[in-house]
This record gives sequence, C-alpha cells and structure tokens, in this order.
Amino acid sequence: MRFFPLLWAGLWRRPTRSVLTALCIVTAFLLLGLLEGVNAGFAKAIAEAHRDLLVTRTRVRGGAPMPIAALATIQSIPGVREVTQRAYFMGTYGDPLLKNTVAALATDPAVFFQLRPGLVVSKESLRAMRENRSGMLATPALLQWFGWKVGDAVTLHSQILKTDGSQDWTFSIVGTCDSVKNPANAYFGIINYSYLDEYRVENRGTAESFYERIADPAKAVATAAAIDSIFANSSHETRTQSDQERAQFQAKQLGDVQFFTNAIMGAVLFTLAFLTGNTLRQSIHERIPEFAVLKAVGYSDARVLSLAYAEALLLYLPPAALGLMLARLAAPLAKEDIGTIIVSPAVAMSGLACAALLAFAGAALPASRLSRMSIVDALRRR
Amino acid sequence: MALPAQVLAVTAANIRSIPQRLGNSLVIVVGVAGVVAVLILVLTMFVDFRATIQGDGQPDRAIILPRGATTEYEGSLSRETVAAVMNAPGIEHDQHAQPIGSAEVILVAPVARKVDNSDVNVTLRGVGGQYFIMRPELKLVSGRMFRPGNQELLAGASAGAQFAGLDIGNQVRLQDGDWTVVGTFGGGNGSRDSEVIADALTVMSAYKLDAFNTMGVMLESPGAIASLREALSRDPTLQVDVRAEPEYLATASAGVNRMLQLVAYSVGSIMALGALFAALNSMTSAVAARTVEIATLRAIGFSPSAVAVSVLTEALLLALLGAVLGVAVAYLAFNGTTISTLGGAVWDSQLVYSLSITRSVTATAILLACTLGLLGGVYPAIRAARSSIADALHES
Repeated sequence: MRFFPLLWAGLWRRPTRSVLTALCIVTAFLLLGLLEGVNAGFAKAIAEAHRDLLVTRTRVRGGAPMPIAALATIQSIPGVREVTQRAYFMGTYGDPLLKNTVAALATDPAVFFQLRPGLVVSKESLRAMRENRSGMLATPALLQWFGWKVGDAVTLHSQILKTDGSQDWTFSIVGTCDSVKNPANAYFGIINYSYLDEYRVENRGTAESFYERIADPAKAVATAAAIDSIFANSSHETRTQSDQERAQFQAKQLGDVQFFTNAIMGAVLFTLAFLTGNTLRQSIHERIPEFAVLKAVGYSDARVLSLAYAEALLLYLPPAALGLMLARLAAPLAKEDIGTIIVSPAVAMSGLACAALLAFAGAALPASRLSRMSIVDALRRR
Repeated sequence: MALPAQVLAVTAANIRSIPQRLGNSLVIVVGVAGVVAVLILVLTMFVDFRATIQGDGQPDRAIILPRGATTEYEGSLSRETVAAVMNAPGIEHDQHAQPIGSAEVILVAPVARKVDNSDVNVTLRGVGGQYFIMRPELKLVSGRMFRPGNQELLAGASAGAQFAGLDIGNQVRLQDGDWTVVGTFGGGNGSRDSEVIADALTVMSAYKLDAFNTMGVMLESPGAIASLREALSRDPTLQVDVRAEPEYLATASAGVNRMLQLVAYSVGSIMALGALFAALNSMTSAVAARTVEIATLRAIGFSPSAVAVSVLTEALLLALLGAVLGVAVAYLAFNGTTISTLGGAVWDSQLVYSLSITRSVTATAILLACTLGLLGGVYPAIRAARSSIADALHES
C-alpha cells in the first residue's frame, strides 16, 4: 500500500494515454463479458436442468402419437415415481387473422405441474381445474394479449373436430399459471386432457408425450431405455431424454454460431493484447531513468520489477472490472433475442484473471529489459 | 507554398518517420484490422443468412398457408383446401394443362453434424410431383428421383455436405422404418438444399397424417396473385392466407435473423468504440512524440491547417492499411466456410449456408475503418495545429 501513490503517479504521468488505454480495456471486457456470458447462459441452463425429470416423445417428430394405455406400463417400471401424459391443442380466438393462435397443453394438471419445475401455479388454480373439466389455466401474458380475465369463457376455433361435429371449443378460464424464467414470452394455456380426449374425434386415447419423475437421477439413462423399450418396434417408437440431455441438445442446435463467438473472443483478446502491450512498453520505456534512480537508492531488482508489474495490474484490473460490470448491466437487454446471458461471478473472475494475464504478459518484455539494464546505462539515457 | 503542397510535404515527412515509432503506428493498424476482420465476420454471418433465407424468392410464386399461420410447419391444409386452391384462377399451367403447384408436409429428420457428430434436425419436406417444375432453379444432381409409394429420399447438396448419412444408398431412420437416400439435388441460392425431400403422400401415409402444412404455386405472372387472393377469399370454407414468395420469406426465420443482426451490430459497434480509443491513443502519442518537429515546421512557415490535415492523412492511411490487413485476414480465415445453424423451415431444423464475403460488407468495413481513422485523428490534429510554437520549442 505504501507504494500506491508511486504507482498512481506513474499511471497519471501521461493521463491521455492512460485514460484511452483504460477505455480500450473497458470496451474489450464489456464485449468479452457479454460473449462469455452467452456461453455461461447455455452452461447454466444445462447444469440446472433436472436429471430426474424425463420426457418421452415419439422418436421421429410428427410420428403417430402414443397410446395412453402406456401410462400404466410406464408407471410400473421400477424407479418411476410419477408420470403424466400431454396432448396438444391449438385454436384461434375470434377473427382468424394473424397472431391470434392459442396453444394449450392438455394434461393432468395436478401431476403435470409437479413434473415441470419451470412453471408455477397456485393451489386455488389447481383446485379450480379439478372442479371444472372444461377449465383452462392461462399465463398472464396470454390473458393480456387477448384482454381476457379469470372467469371469462372463451371459444376457440380449432382444426380438431369435436364429437358434436363442430370445431369450436369453449373453455372457462379458471386461473393462471406462469413460466418462472421467461414470463414475458409465455403465451399458452393448460387444459384438462380428460376433457379434450372425451370430445375429440381423432387421435382419441393418445398422447404426444409423457413426463416422468424418477427416484434416482443416476438411473436416468437406464430408466429412459426401459421406457423406450415399451414402444420398440411399434409405429410409435419413442425417445426418452432427461431435461438435462434436452438442454444440451438445444444448445447444440445453435451449431457454428458458438464456434464463432469463440473466434471473436480470440480476435478481441489478440487485438487488446497488442494495443495495451504497446502502452505498457512505452510507459516503462520512458521511465527507465526513473526506475534506475530507484535502483540507485537501494531498491532491489525484484522490487523494481514488482513495481512495474503492479502498475500494469493497476492499469488493467479496474477498467476490466468496469467493463464486466457494464456487461452485467447490458446483459438483460438482449434477453428476448439472444437468450439468457449470465455475467456471473465466475464469468467475472475468469475475465479478471484474463486481464491479469494480459497485464503480466504486456509488462514482461519491457520489464525484463529493465532488469537487465545496468544502473549506469539507464541513468545515462536521461 | 500552397496548402496542398504543404500538406504533401508534411505528410511525406510524417510517413518517413513512421519506422522510428513503429510500435505506436502499428496500434492503429492492428486495432483497425481486428475490428474490420470481426465486423466482416459478424456482418457476413448475418447478411448471408438473410440472403440464403430469401435467396430464391420469386414474385411469380405464391405460398399459401392456413389463415393465421406465420410459419410453414404450424398449420394444416386439408386435401379439399389444396384441391380448391389448385383450381383457382391466376395459377400457371404446365403443358398437360395441369396447374403448377406443390402441397407439402414439413417434418424434421434427425441427423448428425459431420464436424462434431452432434445430433441436429434437418427439415424433411414432403413435396408434390411438380416440385421441380415449380422450382426450376433446383436440379437433380446425382442419383434418381424418389418413386412415390417407396420410402425414398432426395438429400439437398448443402445438407449432404454438412451432415453425415445423407449419401446415396444411406438409410435414414424415420417413421415406419428406414428411408433410403436415392439421389441428391441442388441449385439456387436459397435454403432449399439444406433440406431432404420425399414424396408428400408417401410421407403422409407413413406418418398417418391427413393434412398438408403448406403449399406453393406458380403464378401466371406476379400480378396474378391479386386474382388468386380474391378468388380464395370469396370461398368461406377456405381459411388461407396467400403471400408472394419473397414476402413470405422476408418474415421467415425472423427470430434467428434478429439475433444475428443484434449480434452483428452490437459486437461491431463495441469493437469500433474500442478501436476508436486505440486510434486516438496512437495518434495522440504520435503528435506528442513530434511536438518539437511540428513546432519547428510551423516556425518556418507551414500553416496550422497543413499540419492538421497531415495528421489526419496519416491517421487515415494507417487505418486504411489496417482495413486492408483485416480484409485479408477475414478472407483467408473464413471466406467460403460452410456453417450450419438454426434457421430451417421448422423452428429447430438447421439451415446450411456458406460464408461468402460480399463487396458491400467489405465496403462497409473499410468505410468504418476510414471513419475510425479520421475520428481518431481529429483531436490530435487540432491539438497539433493549436499548440503554441514557443512553448513547444521551449520544452526541448
């Protein structure tokens, strides 16, 4: 701490240069923080996804739905705690113009919400669904979109034919449910499977997917295989995945885009290393005589060197921290288009470590020249 | 001396002295090169993605979707609807007097990326018999057409290059067992050869589907869409939207498109800001290092504006050098690279496209580089022109 004023004075010897270099570092770490935050967002989504929750879908998408009778067979597999089915309902509200499509999941709400930790629902809403077969739970976003409120009865026109020959399905909105992570983009409803299945003409007694919770997450793969074997060699072969596997799959879909994030980060780091390395080189080079004076009054080589390195750190770390902080503030702005960007403490730490590394690397070359120079030579340059 | 001659003389002197302050001058060059290379990369990803999506849009083709559907895969068109649309006015007929159109089902087929063997989806499009007549830009490249009734596929050339298991003779596991790849097709500038196609009715019977998802028709002329739209809107049993193909494609894949655009512009502007600071830094140092020299020039009669313009010129030249370096790096590193990402006809199916750096992207990047050089030079130039001769000379 004793040396802080000395370091500080060193930095402010050429204020324009130091400030501009610092601004370079701030912008570079703003960008690095955001890009690394994108990667961290994916990693977190994968890490947080449950390993004990499985989803069974038809192996080939769009394939024939699975018979609901399989529910009991799945339930009987050792290790399966709870299971529920889901079918899909789609309809349009009012004048069938653009953007008035309503999607609803037909399921057994009481079990479904236990198996989908990403969704929240109140006990009252669940009870209301139990008491009203034609009930619907809607997300607040959906309610707002159509100007609906709890208590309304809404009629949706669907391609799904009803047993009475009409295609108009009426549901009463009995409560709400919402997505924990992304309420702004959650536009859907939940309806009772039993109601849909009783009145639909086609695909009766089938489900498009099953959701399961298993007792031991470590047995996820074996249990998934056991479930898939029920449907093997049928017209509706299935593929069961844990939520975690599914999150991994989704991240991979972005494909080469992630590779390019890394390429950009590499380019930014290289450019930054060059720019700031030049500043450090100039700064130390200009002050060789000053360092020589320090040596002449008895400072050891090691101490002079550590002063040079400490100054480099002082130049890098605060702007890097500021850049990462800005990245943290900016991250939510991109949520809707890019997804979750997480500038977590871990991202910040790796960013700062990176800054320290750049500081050391940038100062190493001029500092080594400094330590090799004899006091006499150094002073003569004055 | 006239101003231009003065500027020339001072600039030449500046440039001759660059080797003595090489490190400092290289800061502008490398900084600008970094920005230009990254900017070209992100802009190319965005521009080429959009160009591929909208690539083969023809105003004399129309896409017909169920009313309210915004994507090809989400809605359903019954066989009756398809038949009614085909008989509507405004649609071009082939030499057998058959209306030219293709009713299609859109599904996905699981494949593995060759690069890292990861599981992804390609669009599986069940198409009508006139698909290739409606899309003359597409051609069978090798093998033969699929035969309706057999579980056979044609793989798009881009898809085949990017994903494993799509060569002729390969089996792809779909509904109702294995489907054989019997040929490949390519051509056009669009997204179609990122897909695999099969006979629509064969796909529908295998998947037990009784409706199509989308249909395309060839119009008699771009203007004929009005009469087609008018005729279809008169029939209350037909709930469909008619859009010209370019209009439909402009809205397709809006999500990924917006994401790439946001990435391109935010990455580009943040990097440009950083490079601006670097350029300012570099030119300020350059001027500071030559305080005495500049004061001497002014003392012997060079005008302040000649000094200022020469500093600007130097900044501009260095930035241009950086731009050339950046463009060269970008071309060497990724021009012609084929990449795949989300953006196919289904929300999670892949679009394959190759990065080809366009002239306008290069021009944009070079323009930005020049702007950076000029902006970075302005403040140091003014400072150089305004410095007091006496003070500067006294300093030495």
